[in-house]
Amino acid sequence: MTEFLTAAVGLILALLALGLVSILRGPGDTDRMMAAQLIGTAGIAVLLLLGTVTGVPAAVDVALILALLATFASIAFVKKGLSRLESDGVGSAEDK
Amino acid sequence: MSIATVFEVALAAVVLGLAIWTIAVPETYSATVGFVAYGLLVALIWVRLDAVDVALTEAAIGGGLGGVVLLGAAARLRDAEATAAERPDRFTRLIAAILSASIAAALGLAILILPDHAPTLAPVVAANAGATGMANPVTNVLMAFRGMDTMLEKVVLLLTVVGVWSLASDRAWGGRPGPHHEADPHGVLAFLARLLPPAGIVVGIYMLWTGADHPGGAFQGGAVLASMWLLAIMAGLADTPPVSSRWLRFILVAGPGLFLVVGLGGLCFGAAFLAYPVAFAKPLILGIEVAMVLTIAATLALLLAGAPERNA
Repeated sequence: MTEFLTAAVGLILALLALGLVSILRGPGDTDRMMAAQLIGTAGIAVLLLLGTVTGVPAAVDVALILALLATFASIAFVKKGLSRLESDGVGSAEDK
Repeated sequence: MSIATVFEVALAAVVLGLAIWTIAVPETYSATVGFVAYGLLVALIWVRLDAVDVALTEAAIGGGLGGVVLLGAAARLRDAEATAAERPDRFTRLIAAILSASIAAALGLAILILPDHAPTLAPVVAANAGATGMANPVTNVLMAFRGMDTMLEKVVLLLTVVGVWSLASDRAWGGRPGPHHEADPHGVLAFLARLLPPAGIVVGIYMLWTGADHPGGAFQGGAVLASMWLLAIMAGLADTPPVSSRWLRFILVAGPGLFLVVGLGGLCFGAAFLAYPVAFAKPLILGIEVAMVLTIAATLALLLAGAPERNA
């Protein structure tokens, strides 16, 4: 079972590295932020698997924190990046 | 080389590559997103190194709140970047490169000449775990064995809030920090801001509570609570409190204040400043941590909200 889970960690890490390629390539800010979200999700999966494989139950807590704060970061991205999107002619004004 | 080692080497290489890219990329926004992803990956490495307390803090600060601060800074710099396109001259850049390279070389040298068995107090900490009745060695060090450092650290947090507030204009002083957010009350953002905070508040309190015996603690719990508060603010469901409000200022000083009072109590009734009586060590530390989690949540949220901009 451990071998299977370790292989799963390897697979997700490989997918995570592919997400990094998307961060590097862009081309837009939104693509980059979505790639960062993908990496966050993959990181949660790796943490849950690692916690089981290596017997560190607290890894689940790290995954919990990542899940909560990655969502928060993406919302902040949309809010803070709004002025930029508006100047590009995309998005709608929500802030006064 | 086992398969796990291969993964570790690959992860380290990826993190190093991402770090170099984050420094080298010219656009501020791309660098910020790279830094957020970097924080997430470094949290993985800390878990792999069995430093789960550090991983929790890295996930909360590096991947979460720190990223949001940088995103805000990048959004503000963006307008300035377009106008100030001038580059420093060759001489300035050469000096900066030499300075950076020598600091990196000095750091590398310092790590290389460390003794093989670094002097450590870890065995002493492990041996004295019973003194406070808490099983998490990190909490023992932070709250008891090196309590002075932690207390001063919270005072520094307070000073940073003072620093941010002092950026306010005279007219806005005493007002509410940040812009007023408005969102569609039936939209997806308002929905998420109602859905997530109940779970987040439970996780934040759990982080505080579990910190006594397992990785976690007031700082991580406070960071989660702060992000949930900011989520409600960004969705327009709540507004930032005016900085002149008494209860806000009370919460801001509650953590370090209670820490100081308990410390002085140790001077009067116990052996030394910040010495807890053994019988009451755990309840006292938990009491300080409860006050601290509120202080940290308020402080971090206010740091992200920025300087007062609007009249209350």
